Amino acid sequence: MLEITGIDVFHGDLQAVWDVSLIIEGKGITTLIGSNGSGKSTVLATIAGLLKPVRGSISFDGVRIDTLPAHKIVDAGIAMVPEGRRLFREMTVMDNLEMGAITKRARQMKNETMAWIFDVFPILKERARQRADTLSGGEQQMLAIGRSLMSQPRLLLVDELSLGLAPVVVQKISQTLDEINKTKGIGIFLVEQNVVMALELAETGHIIENGRIVGTGKASELLASDQVRQAYLGMEGE
Amino acid sequence: MVERKKGLVLAAAVIVALALVPFFTVREYVFSILCMLFLYVTLSQSWNILGGYTGQINVGQAAFFGMGALVARLLWVAGVPFYLSILAGGLGSVILAIIIGLPALKLRGHYFAIGTLAVATIAQITVGNILPGISFLPAQQMATYSLIPRYYVFLIIMAAALAVIYFTVNSRVGLGMEATRDDEEAAQMVGVNTFKYKMIAFLISSFFAGLAGGGFAYFNASYYWYLPFTLMWCFEPILIVFIGGVGSFLGPVIGSVCYVLLKELFALTLGEANLLIFGIVFILTILFFPKGVIGLPAKLRQLFYRRGNVVGR
Amino acid sequence: MEFAQYITYGVINGSLYALVAIGLALIMGIMGIFNIAQGSLAMIAAYGSVLFFQHMKIDPFVSLALTLPGMFLVGVFMYLTMFMSMNKFDPGQKLRNSMLVSFGLVLIMETLATILWTANERTVTTAYSGTVMALGDLRIPYTGIATIILAIVVIFGLHFFLKHTTFGKSIWAVSQDHDCAMLMGINVKRTTLVAFGLGIALSAFAGAVVSLHTVSPAVGIDWTNKALILIVLAGVGSINGILFAGLLLGIVEALGVYLVGVHYTGVVGLLIFIIVLMLRPQGLFVRKAGV
Ligand SMILES: Nc1ncnc2c1ncn2[C@@H]1O[C@H](COP(=O)(O)OP(=O)(O)OP(=O)(O)O)[C@@H](O)[C@H]1O
Ligand SMILES: [Mg+2]
Repeated sequence: MLEITGIDVFHGDLQAVWDVSLIIEGKGITTLIGSNGSGKSTVLATIAGLLKPVRGSISFDGVRIDTLPAHKIVDAGIAMVPEGRRLFREMTVMDNLEMGAITKRARQMKNETMAWIFDVFPILKERARQRADTLSGGEQQMLAIGRSLMSQPRLLLVDELSLGLAPVVVQKISQTLDEINKTKGIGIFLVEQNVVMALELAETGHIIENGRIVGTGKASELLASDQVRQAYLGMEGE
Repeated sequence: MVERKKGLVLAAAVIVALALVPFFTVREYVFSILCMLFLYVTLSQSWNILGGYTGQINVGQAAFFGMGALVARLLWVAGVPFYLSILAGGLGSVILAIIIGLPALKLRGHYFAIGTLAVATIAQITVGNILPGISFLPAQQMATYSLIPRYYVFLIIMAAALAVIYFTVNSRVGLGMEATRDDEEAAQMVGVNTFKYKMIAFLISSFFAGLAGGGFAYFNASYYWYLPFTLMWCFEPILIVFIGGVGSFLGPVIGSVCYVLLKELFALTLGEANLLIFGIVFILTILFFPKGVIGLPAKLRQLFYRRGNVVGR
Repeated sequence: MEFAQYITYGVINGSLYALVAIGLALIMGIMGIFNIAQGSLAMIAAYGSVLFFQHMKIDPFVSLALTLPGMFLVGVFMYLTMFMSMNKFDPGQKLRNSMLVSFGLVLIMETLATILWTANERTVTTAYSGTVMALGDLRIPYTGIATIILAIVVIFGLHFFLKHTTFGKSIWAVSQDHDCAMLMGINVKRTTLVAFGLGIALSAFAGAVVSLHTVSPAVGIDWTNKALILIVLAGVGSINGILFAGLLLGIVEALGVYLVGVHYTGVVGLLIFIIVLMLRPQGLFVRKAGV
């Protein structure tokens, strides 16, 4: 279970997140939705340790992690698929996957994990020796997810799964994520602008606006609520 | 507009006051310090128009300074009047800038910096090989040597450099330069010919660097031919602009005053270890004031309100 | 035959240039740090070799066992005290600041070397100095052969390390995307520290070879100059390319000496430099367009 309590986060002098508290259950799929610039990526980067909260704390399964450097957080079992995928473009698919398994624990199981990932995304196996920047957008997203899974995480953070991808591809990848969650018990925390997709996939949803949490609930209820329908789906309430 | 007029009047008054200095003192020490100051203002402001306003880091200023000195000295010693020699030196630098600028300014980022530094080191080594000795003034020129005309030459070069650069950066051309610096790709997208602005800045920059070199050749009775090519001349203008503040017009002037005073102090108080201490101070300045004196207020504020630090970049 | 002799010296010099440039290329390509003190560090390492030889009769190639770790520690110290703090800057500012700081280091090292060891030239004269291998009329100094072999082994070795070992690849990953490397669990601080130390340690190889020729405090900047030309010829980020660029420069310079005389070697270098800038600005050995 990931527990975020009252964090304030800055980009330099600019505050982007105010007093955010969230509880993310370990086994399920949770989503955080919000419009452009609302602070979603900032929350994720803070969990992953790229940014440090000025106030508040974050703990994972009872261990405080906001004081740890980013690579120790990966070691603690949280991996992140960054916004825009951020592959190591000059490297091959294989090498990208290898970079995901850099922690000691992950390195020992590298071959098994890689076999599993090739199982989940067979196309990656075909492209194993190709440079990452020669892949299609969907393949790149698969590689980015596979790479983060290489660290054997218990919780996977995904930033903008659907960014720049065709709807069919998004559907396919989100199905795969669902399977990974159900079969492997890896918790998923998904950040999305594609509200419908996110709320259909997740069990629990949180809404962020201007750096503050303004709503929390069961995903299906949020999807039906006036709040979401008006603000994100452009529909009038009844 | 009024502010700017006031500034110009003030600047003109300072130049006139400096022009009157020789009527009040004849102390050589004062003149030579002021000559050095004028030289550094010229050199650093000429660096600033390209580096500060246009965003092209030229690490090879010594090549242009040295070229000006070399051409001016050769012509002057051969009997050409010194003002023509100095102008020829400036032109020599401009020609060098065209040869190097045409290929190098098409490049982005690291390459211009590396390229210009490479040119400067090659120039230093080559001049050192071909002209290994000292350039002495012929006896007849030696006999009439006086500091006063040198003082005025440096003052005029500086005033000209300041005026030309001031009016350029405050014109439409200046806008083009700043657009190039801020985001070259975006500027090109809206139809700005960035290469043209880089080239203009480079030509102006090299011309005044060359004139400063000519001044150097006129000022010094004897020096090793390669001396104006040494890498110190590459880094001093950058450091000065750095101290004073990059991309501001007064930065190089403030920086030069600080720099000349500091250097003089070191030369007077430290002997052989002069350059050693200088190097250390040089490094400490850059490490602790990475944005120059201009960045100082922000730095202090940061110290007082220590907030959450961003990890990574 | 005289012509072939010139070319031979060109190849030997070119190998040495490549040995000096490789550390600079690594640090620049991987970290965007422009360390113009690389040549001066090679000069200091060369004095290390000279002193080990004079006082303890240790051969320069053997004393590498001491100068390599020594220079690595120097690199670690430099990084921790000076260059690490620049990681938060944007690339342009990082380039400029690192260049200025390393120029300060050039001043310090040159002055220090002059104070400690005078401005005179020094050299190591071993039993095999001056001995040559004769191939027909061609004479190849054994030290030259050692230089060529060392350059090949060091540069291809480094290339292999970066592309085919996990730690090497993680260095490479950091250079491509610093923050994302952190997200993968790479200890970026330690990785960059080691990479920088390694880049500086490489100057010890150059130092060992330089000590067999001549060392003086002022040679540092000459070596840096050659390294800069090589980097432009090879293209930033190219490792193997450095060796080929070195050979190219060495041979062209040798042709220059053969045709127009020794004073103009610098000009010959400048010429190919400008020609390459005009025709292939991204460098000769880089596939993509440069930064
Ligand atoms: N590196 C940065 N420096 C300064 N401000 C930043 C930086 N990154 C984000 N911000 C600001 O912080 C706020 C939150 O940004 P964030 O990237 O977290 O939003 P987001 O919800 O992920 O948006 P998007 O949906 O566009 O990805 C925005 O106002 C943004 O402008
Ligand atoms: Mg975002």
